[in-house]
Amino acid sequence: MDVSTDEERLLIEAAQADPARFVELYDRNVDRIYAYVSRRAGSRSVAEDVTSEVFEQALSNLGKFKWRGVPFVAWLYRIASNALADHWKREGRDSHDLPPDVPDEREHQDLERRVSLFQLVDRLPDAQRQVIQMRFVEDRTIREVAAALDRSEGAVKQLQLRALENLRKDAGHHG
Amino acid sequence: MADQLLPDRLDAVIDALVARGDASAALRDPELAALARVAADLRHYPSRDFTARLRARLERRTTMTTTMTSGPAEAGHSADYAMREGFTTVTPYIWVPDRGLADFLVRTFDAIETSVGEIPGHGVHRELRVGSSMVMIGESGRSDVPARPVAFHVFVEDVDATFARAVTAGGTSLGEPEDRHYGERAGFIRDAYGNHWYIATALGPQSLGHALRTVTPYLHARDINGYMDFLSRAFGAVEETRAEQPGGVIPYARMRIGDAAIEFGTADPMPGAYFLYAADPDAMYEQALAAGAKSLSAPADRPSGDRIGFIEDPVGNHWYIARPV
Repeated sequence: MDVSTDEERLLIEAAQADPARFVELYDRNVDRIYAYVSRRAGSRSVAEDVTSEVFEQALSNLGKFKWRGVPFVAWLYRIASNALADHWKREGRDSHDLPPDVPDEREHQDLERRVSLFQLVDRLPDAQRQVIQMRFVEDRTIREVAAALDRSEGAVKQLQLRALENLRKDAGHHG
Repeated sequence: MADQLLPDRLDAVIDALVARGDASAALRDPELAALARVAADLRHYPSRDFTARLRARLERRTTMTTTMTSGPAEAGHSADYAMREGFTTVTPYIWVPDRGLADFLVRTFDAIETSVGEIPGHGVHRELRVGSSMVMIGESGRSDVPARPVAFHVFVEDVDATFARAVTAGGTSLGEPEDRHYGERAGFIRDAYGNHWYIATALGPQSLGHALRTVTPYLHARDINGYMDFLSRAFGAVEETRAEQPGGVIPYARMRIGDAAIEFGTADPMPGAYFLYAADPDAMYEQALAAGAKSLSAPADRPSGDRIGFIEDPVGNHWYIARPV
């Protein structure tokens, strides 16, 4: 058992004894679960609803989680898979739809890459981060971003380019 | 395309990606391929407003669970949250037209009336102690108010004797006392108002009778899973046990809200009313609405001195979320 799994186990036990510690498990895993769900959800609002559902359920059922050496996130992926299937059922999608798979090794690597990227976004200089936020999260056009930041469209496009170059460079394996 | 500046070309690629999920523009421009891959990943970047909101909600839920769990046991440490003596977090509130139900409880269970008062415009409010539990009764004084019968699991010393008293007091048998496979000898009664009383005596050391108080609300729902999930989100209820049959039917489950137990069985709902003590009724009211409850009345200071918010849950039960003064 390596140090990080040992630490995770202690954290889970702490949260089982004192639910207030659950947010630490949330902080460690929310980006992963969101990335997993978002890839399958089709829209931001669905991705957010399902992600909320996953953590609400995880908190309710934390007492039932038994440590068997499998990472905590694998348990969360399973909850997420069922939550997506339930969502599709409610939406009236074909009830023959099976719950989506939990990530295989390849997807796991993809998700980890995205999680690292998201954390790099959080550390970008403010102006660059704001551009990313408005363009990708809020789906705003360059013109709208320029108006909101009180800059020219050309300047916003430059910021956008610089942000993506920084992210590519820091993420390393994108280059 | 090549005569366009790099920032403009990148922006066109992002437009196509974000609006249409179309990566073909990026493929036509090899110089941008690596940046386009970053952009494609960024479509899944979570809104930080969202992750912060969800975090705050979870945090509120866990704080509330902790407060409610430790509150009653440590009332002395929690000056702003003293539960009324003898009460638990959840107290059933049974609405009937007249005082006949109180009489039935006295005659059947040796209940002791501890308090009675007027609810201006709504009739009489009565509180009775039944063994180690409290029951509240609202007597509307009107026959045109539809009854809201509910169900209870009641543990007594001698089920046969209590069952006989219930019948004498006007109850109808729904099942004579028998040794049941789930560790109790139990008989079932319907009172004159339609309430069900599952009267039981513990059999053996494993019986629930040793873990539960005298009276435990027994809630019926068709989708127990969904309902338990609601209670967990709304009130921080914690699941204690659940029996599951093939096909997903749940014949029995139990949760704890603060220091009160609630049991569940799969059946058509018998929507009733429950008094729920909370350290912060305003926050819990909001949380219940966020979990899918319908507001009946926002939290306000009531003439009784309690601050109370009223909600209806998805099964139709009414909850009076209250903080005693």
